[in-house]
Amino acid sequence: MTELLALMLAAVVAGTPLLYAALGELITERSGILNLGVEGMMVIGAIAGFAAVYVTGNLWLGVLAAGLSGGVLALAFGVLAISLRVNHVAAGLALTIFGISLGAYVGKPLVGQSLSLTEAQLSGGLTNVPLVGPLFSAVHPLIWLSWLLFAGLWFFTTRTRAGLVLRAVGESTTSADAIGYPVMRIQYLATGFGGVMAGIAGVFISVVYTSIWTEGIIAGRGWIAVALVIFATWRPGRCLVGAYLFGGMTIAELLGQVMDLGIPTEFLSATPYLATVIVLVLISRKDSTMRLSVPASLGKSLDIKG
Amino acid sequence: MTDHTRRRLLGGIAAASLWSGMGFPVVRAQETLKVGVIHMGAISNTGWEYYQAEAWRALQAKYPNQVEVTVLENVADIQSVERQFRQLAVQGHKLLFGTTFSQYASLRKLAPQLPQSHFECCAGIEAGRNLGVFEARHYEGAYLTGIAAGRMTKSGVLGWVGAFPVPQVIYSLNAFLLGAQSVNPDVVLKLVWVNAWVDPAKERDAVSTLVSQGADVISGSPNTPVQSEAARSAGVWSIGNTGDFSEFVQETQLASFELDWSPAHIEATQAVLDGNWEPVGRWRGIGDGGFIRMATRSPALPASVNTELDAAEAAIIAGELKPFAGPIRDQSGKERVAPGTELSDGDINSMTWLVEGVQGRVPT
Repeated sequence: MTELLALMLAAVVAGTPLLYAALGELITERSGILNLGVEGMMVIGAIAGFAAVYVTGNLWLGVLAAGLSGGVLALAFGVLAISLRVNHVAAGLALTIFGISLGAYVGKPLVGQSLSLTEAQLSGGLTNVPLVGPLFSAVHPLIWLSWLLFAGLWFFTTRTRAGLVLRAVGESTTSADAIGYPVMRIQYLATGFGGVMAGIAGVFISVVYTSIWTEGIIAGRGWIAVALVIFATWRPGRCLVGAYLFGGMTIAELLGQVMDLGIPTEFLSATPYLATVIVLVLISRKDSTMRLSVPASLGKSLDIKG
Repeated sequence: MTDHTRRRLLGGIAAASLWSGMGFPVVRAQETLKVGVIHMGAISNTGWEYYQAEAWRALQAKYPNQVEVTVLENVADIQSVERQFRQLAVQGHKLLFGTTFSQYASLRKLAPQLPQSHFECCAGIEAGRNLGVFEARHYEGAYLTGIAAGRMTKSGVLGWVGAFPVPQVIYSLNAFLLGAQSVNPDVVLKLVWVNAWVDPAKERDAVSTLVSQGADVISGSPNTPVQSEAARSAGVWSIGNTGDFSEFVQETQLASFELDWSPAHIEATQAVLDGNWEPVGRWRGIGDGGFIRMATRSPALPASVNTELDAAEAAIIAGELKPFAGPIRDQSGKERVAPGTELSDGDINSMTWLVEGVQGRVPT
């Protein structure tokens, strides 16, 4: 029983960076912007956050630095994709390449450096808080925060007027513009939010997960997050389940080997992508499911006056 | 393997006669020899590129006036590798070092085309025309550190994080377990492949998984500080395989070995300076002029284990102890090395089977 619990916790930890990045990308895509630069923004968030924690020893400053740098990068993408109306896919891929290279360059002096943080430092001081401290030593504060954010975003997208406006923009930028919503401002906000979340996903990996800086630390998780949004059919609830499922796959892949269950590991590595393809096929089968799932303006350049 | 050697020899003779026949000027000792090195990744203070950099640094220290070293780093894609090597050769670099197996194929092609320079490739497979290679016998270090692991494990279970199932990784983990079994016959090794050269988060998960399944000494290849750190935070020992990570994890790293390519760099450079360079293959383990150096040991090791390690190291250097001497059985119980015999270099270098006691498999 305790083993199963440990296994589930490991899956949650592995899924948390995916959850952050995918929730952010979900909001971005809900506004009609397809930002494929998640991997790049995660790398930048990872190094900025790592550097901040390395210098200050404070987790929260690291989260701040990561969120800000991810957000700034996303806004740069926004200038291209929203204001200049560059093709979203091209701009996003450029952002990924840029982010990976910039992260490697900026992080060069820190390669191989590790953060020797105490448990209290790693939890941002929260394990020292009386009464609730033990909660944070069992489950990292950033995991709690991801649950809080998830609840907030679920409520926002399904129960609030602002959330409906966001979705309206993503469904039809022209209609939203016609009835007077500030489409570009909303898209900038959604894109920036996606960047902040990707940045936090990055710092979770570099500071909480590995506590060490090396190049290639994100290792494709940004792409899994992009796939996860499709897998979740742009719904926060499914995003949460999917993140832990995909995170659990990594753990299952490793555990399957150690316990010699005879499952081909390459197959498990490919599962998230396979599952995404299956979901895509399922929702594309009918026009109605397609319309219900995919924001109709997703990836389309604006057709309104800026 | 004899065939290889003959081919290598013939290649060497051919290259040498080509030289003298074409009458290239021999580099005189008083003029500066320009040496070029191309790194695939960024030079950092740990890991593969670090040890590559230590080699040319040793070169600069040994020949402060005679040798001028040009270093390029982060040359990742093959096209750039070839272009940069060509450019260095054209700029008059008489000796060029490749730093990884990934450059080997390019250098095999380039070396005969650029006879005005000599080429050496680390981790290359065999010497070719105008191309020398050098590689370390990682398994000697792995065997020795395995002794420390075998003595210190309480659960009798060791854990290994493998990147990809290439022979260098397979013979290292086999030797590691054989070393452990030499002092503790019942030891087993659990093996996990992460299917990535670099994925620190997954390496961390791999270590946790191994520990959850009872492993209490962790090593891996390529070994990284992430693995050692993960072992330390899980409360188990680690072993530094081709890297000393004691500065990250202090005494929880039981033993470690490092790579030392400086003898290869210095020998090749001296030969070019003397005008008698020839393309040869160098495959060396521990000992004088070797490419492996035993590094930090944990103060937690009892004196008896330290003595044992010293003795085994001396025996390997003296050639009395061969890590792959029979009898050795594979996982299925089949005898792979008969008593009284030992594996040839060729067999070691193409190893795809796991020794008895490894729990895990080589993906097919």
